[in-house]
Amino acid sequence: MAKHETPLLDELEKGPWPSFVTDIKRQAEKKPECWDILGQLELSFVEKITHWKHGGIVGVFGYGGGIVGRYSDLPKRFPGVEHFHTVRLNQPSSKYYSTKHLRDICDLWEKYGSGMTNMHGSTGDMVMLGCRTEALEPFFYELTHNLKQDLGGSGSNLRTPANCLGKSRCEWACYDTEEACYQMTMHYQDEIHRPAFPYKFKFKFSGCPNDCVAAIARSDIAVIGTWRDNIRIDQAAVKEYVAGNIPSNGGAHAGRDWGKFNIEKEVINLCPTNCMWMEGGELKIDDAECTRCMHCINVMPRALRPGADQGATICVGAKAPILDGAQFATLIVPFMKVSADNEFEELIEFIEKVWDWWMEVGKNRERCGETMQRMGLPTFIKVMGLDPLPQHIKEPRSNPYVFWQEEEVEGGFQRDVEEFRARHAA
Amino acid sequence: MALSKDELKAAILQKAETAPKPQLYIKDFYACDPDAKPREIKNVANDLVKEGKLMFWSSGSTTMYAMKNRIKDEEGASGVN
Repeated sequence: MAKHETPLLDELEKGPWPSFVTDIKRQAEKKPECWDILGQLELSFVEKITHWKHGGIVGVFGYGGGIVGRYSDLPKRFPGVEHFHTVRLNQPSSKYYSTKHLRDICDLWEKYGSGMTNMHGSTGDMVMLGCRTEALEPFFYELTHNLKQDLGGSGSNLRTPANCLGKSRCEWACYDTEEACYQMTMHYQDEIHRPAFPYKFKFKFSGCPNDCVAAIARSDIAVIGTWRDNIRIDQAAVKEYVAGNIPSNGGAHAGRDWGKFNIEKEVINLCPTNCMWMEGGELKIDDAECTRCMHCINVMPRALRPGADQGATICVGAKAPILDGAQFATLIVPFMKVSADNEFEELIEFIEKVWDWWMEVGKNRERCGETMQRMGLPTFIKVMGLDPLPQHIKEPRSNPYVFWQEEEVEGGFQRDVEEFRARHAA
Repeated sequence: MALSKDELKAAILQKAETAPKPQLYIKDFYACDPDAKPREIKNVANDLVKEGKLMFWSSGSTTMYAMKNRIKDEEGASGVN
């Protein structure tokens, strides 16, 4: 494979930032097919059109996911990328690897593929870029038998579940995200490896409302750690923060002189529900009004901690902006105990109820959140067997929209309006 | 399920053979047995793939089913995955 002239791509090497063009050129010295990636991309820049085709029947035996077919539409001109399939590997929980394992993965990919990777995809997979069809089965065999790693999800499958660092490194984790992610991954192997749904479906597990894996923005079912009692306050540590003896935000803003820490300005006035105040030198919180924004806890981690009665909030229906724009997940269950003690029974029951409904009424290529939007939240809540809650409503004080069914109203809807208006003026 | 598993397999293959488009969504098979649950249909369709009678066709974001003799071996599509 010949080197191509790439004057437009070469411009992308001139800034002070790392350049993928430089990376690919370096890799091309070892794997000459990478010259054809640059050649084809240069042509796309000139013609302002992609020369990739994606999709097809490629895969490994028994699996219906984990590999995305890619082909050049100019295979004679760029033979190195005639086949350039993507392989997704299921990352370990929290993306903990040994350097040896990473080297082994890279060596394996250089043996069978282009050696190019993308770490990591939006579902957290390790993404291996560029492989010919005939190399897929031997790569998969060595991956699973020698490295004990499996493919991730793609297509209309359950996508590779992802989680934050959780209790392995974070004191705010309200449940064991790694255990939950691992157990759900093992429980739903069939759904990860074989298509089951009208479209893609994602789980993400965040240990606290900081939501480090962006579950609320990117997953069909977001399991986000929370607590239902009060934020734990160490008043002595609060005084130390106020006195400037403990740096706020764990010292994250210590690089510049922002002035003395001001608890009123930096914490209390920034509380979205105004549920905090100082009284007699102590910090007070009206916990019933707390929306778990985590700001005060992030700023003063040694003084404030999540409550002790911990579990997770379950939100459903987020998606990225491919069709109809991005959508955040909607809160469905404000609090659920998420625990390996009962083998995540309650969570599994919830997940399968959502699937049964979505598989039945979801249209082709419709994400679960889009089905919810089309059918309406009241319908979804009813299907899930839940009672409407104030937390289901975006603005409960100004915009209630939970409608009563006729059988829920005493006397039904057949009432004498004039008699009613005599007592309640319009 | 109103149909037996073998009857459902035959109905799915019939649908895959005769549908105007070679690639079918899983929901396209629901009509093969309106009394069957979506998961039962999915399991039977995936069994047919294991038996080599159907194939998965994936765009990367969506997976469809096809008879091998109705699609080209290496076929890509444009769009988002």
